Amino acid sequence: MPDSKILIIDDEWESAIVKAVQRRLQDEGWQTIIVQPQSQWLVGDEFEDATIYAIEDERPDGVLLDVRLGEHRDDQFKGLEILRQIVEHYPTLPVLMFTQYAQGPARDTAVRGALRWNAPVDFIDKLASPEEVVLRLRRLMGSSPELIPIGAHLLVDVGAETVSARRERDAVLAPVTDIHGMKFEIFRELAAAWYRSPGELVPFSRLERYSEGEEARASLRVRIREIKISIGRALGVQLGANDLIVNVRDRGYRLAPPQM
Amino acid sequence: MSWSLPRAWVHPVGPGGVSRLLGMVVLALGAAGLVLAPFVGEAMFTRIWGIEPLTYVGAALVILGLAVTTLSYFVSELLRSRRQAADEETRFAERWTQVTQQYFDLFNHDLGRPLRRILGKEREIREQLQAMGAEVPPSVRELLDEIEEQTPSFRLMMSNMQVLIELETPITGKNLHAVEPVEVVRRIVDRYSLVAADASKQIVWWSEPTDFGIVYSDSSAIEHIVTNLVDNTVRYAESFAEIGLTRDENNFHIRVWDDGPGIAARYLPYLFDRGWTPEVARHEERTTSGLGLFIAHTLAKRYGGDLTVESITDPDPDHHTCFTVTLPLHTRPGRSSGEPVA
Ligand SMILES: Nc1ncnc2c1ncn2[C@@H]1O[C@H](COP(=O)(O)OP(=O)(O)O)[C@@H](O)[C@H]1O
Ligand SMILES: [Mg+2]
Repeated sequence: MPDSKILIIDDEWESAIVKAVQRRLQDEGWQTIIVQPQSQWLVGDEFEDATIYAIEDERPDGVLLDVRLGEHRDDQFKGLEILRQIVEHYPTLPVLMFTQYAQGPARDTAVRGALRWNAPVDFIDKLASPEEVVLRLRRLMGSSPELIPIGAHLLVDVGAETVSARRERDAVLAPVTDIHGMKFEIFRELAAAWYRSPGELVPFSRLERYSEGEEARASLRVRIREIKISIGRALGVQLGANDLIVNVRDRGYRLAPPQM
Repeated sequence: MSWSLPRAWVHPVGPGGVSRLLGMVVLALGAAGLVLAPFVGEAMFTRIWGIEPLTYVGAALVILGLAVTTLSYFVSELLRSRRQAADEETRFAERWTQVTQQYFDLFNHDLGRPLRRILGKEREIREQLQAMGAEVPPSVRELLDEIEEQTPSFRLMMSNMQVLIELETPITGKNLHAVEPVEVVRRIVDRYSLVAADASKQIVWWSEPTDFGIVYSDSSAIEHIVTNLVDNTVRYAESFAEIGLTRDENNFHIRVWDDGPGIAARYLPYLFDRGWTPEVARHEERTTSGLGLFIAHTLAKRYGGDLTVESITDPDPDHHTCFTVTLPLHTRPGRSSGEPVA
């Protein structure tokens, strides 16, 4: 969701890795706020309180939290203690924990065992690409948002049931007039799947719910072709077989953002 | 008078207990014979043999009873100490795993530091190039991509090492918990789609039914198995890789398919062997560890499932490789005991 606010709690925030993540979050249209311990060497108990205050002040939509804060032995799992406090005070706040890579799905599940099974807490290793972090946060904060931006030239507004597009030279998005009803539903399904997981394919069986008549598959194919023509016209480009909506090995369709 | 038999007598456990009980009965019979001998014996036997046989019978029974009781005591003690030794061995193995795991964590962190730094710099270079606004030569971009592409495999290597240590423990309990298989697959695709895209390969996934729901299994085991398969698939695919999730009454299946050159039928029997790669079969120097499929197969078996492969090789236009993981669909949480792994 655009306009989300993410709190980053990390002592290594100056490191290029965390910076790259921060920039990627900003590209997503999210606001980032950094909370860091006073000293890299010892993270006192005050820091735990400080993070809780920061959450209270900022009311973020999500938190990125480092498991290992500081180099001191006592602080090795400081992040887990902070996590415990966050979960206690804000049980519905999504938290993504940064762990040392490979340090252990096993260990993560041990921690997870102490949480409610549906707690919005997830773990990701520090070598994950910024793209992975964004995808994980998207799903953690809710996988069916109201607004789904597809690149910089397309936007799906789920509430208003509109698809908007802009040409390369245009400054603002304008609604694509002839995508509504079943066609909108089909495009929304494809966009939502792409938004939560770029490789996700929507099987024909699911999309055929938005087609009537005896030849559901054929009518689905016609609708998809019409959607592509409408959006292509709005974008001012010719969309080929492998652009925007791709038929994957006769199993389903998936969205591929147009290269512009 | 109220008294009760010792627990071990009432509920004799195992062969030691049974024979001890038998010994006690014989002992009691013998003692009764000895006590009764002067009375019964005099009345019945004096005139026949001139001695009291019941005395001898009683004495013999006492000795026999004592012997059986003592023997059974020693035998059960012996069995107990054996069991204790076995327990100790298990404890030792667990401790060994723990210690190795601790060392591993230590190195893990230290090894990760320079790697994180390299990756950070690489990502920074990308940013700066972009900020400069200049046309970046494709060759430079490719070099940067190559650095980035090494990470998923490196991450897999490190966790493979960790899982190998775990598999060395003779017995480990399996921890079943609520898992969303769809989310496990999503994560793996998140991780590998960048690598695939850079190599102009498409990686897609689907599930039927689309609302696949929750199973009781071990998410890290599933993730580990499938990551190993996907890592291979992304490497060997020509242009397309597909992960499909299905379920039936008792199991769920994850199918990892690629349109690569395929694996020769003569190699299939060795594919899941520890350390096997085609180079080993050709007596060449091994360039990869050959551990991934061994680990995946061992884990699948350990969780009561299986890993199978089906492949058609290159000259055939339909060439492909397809691995299928099948795992039991526990419907409620539980702990099942693990079986020893050789
Ligand atoms: N999808 C695949 N297509 C073709 N060959 C494969 C595929 N997966 C595995 N192999 C072959 O099996 C061998 C063993 O794989 P694996 O156990 O993962 O070890 P490694 O990846 O370290 O070589 C590989 O070296 C490769 O030759
Ligand atoms: Mg491999």
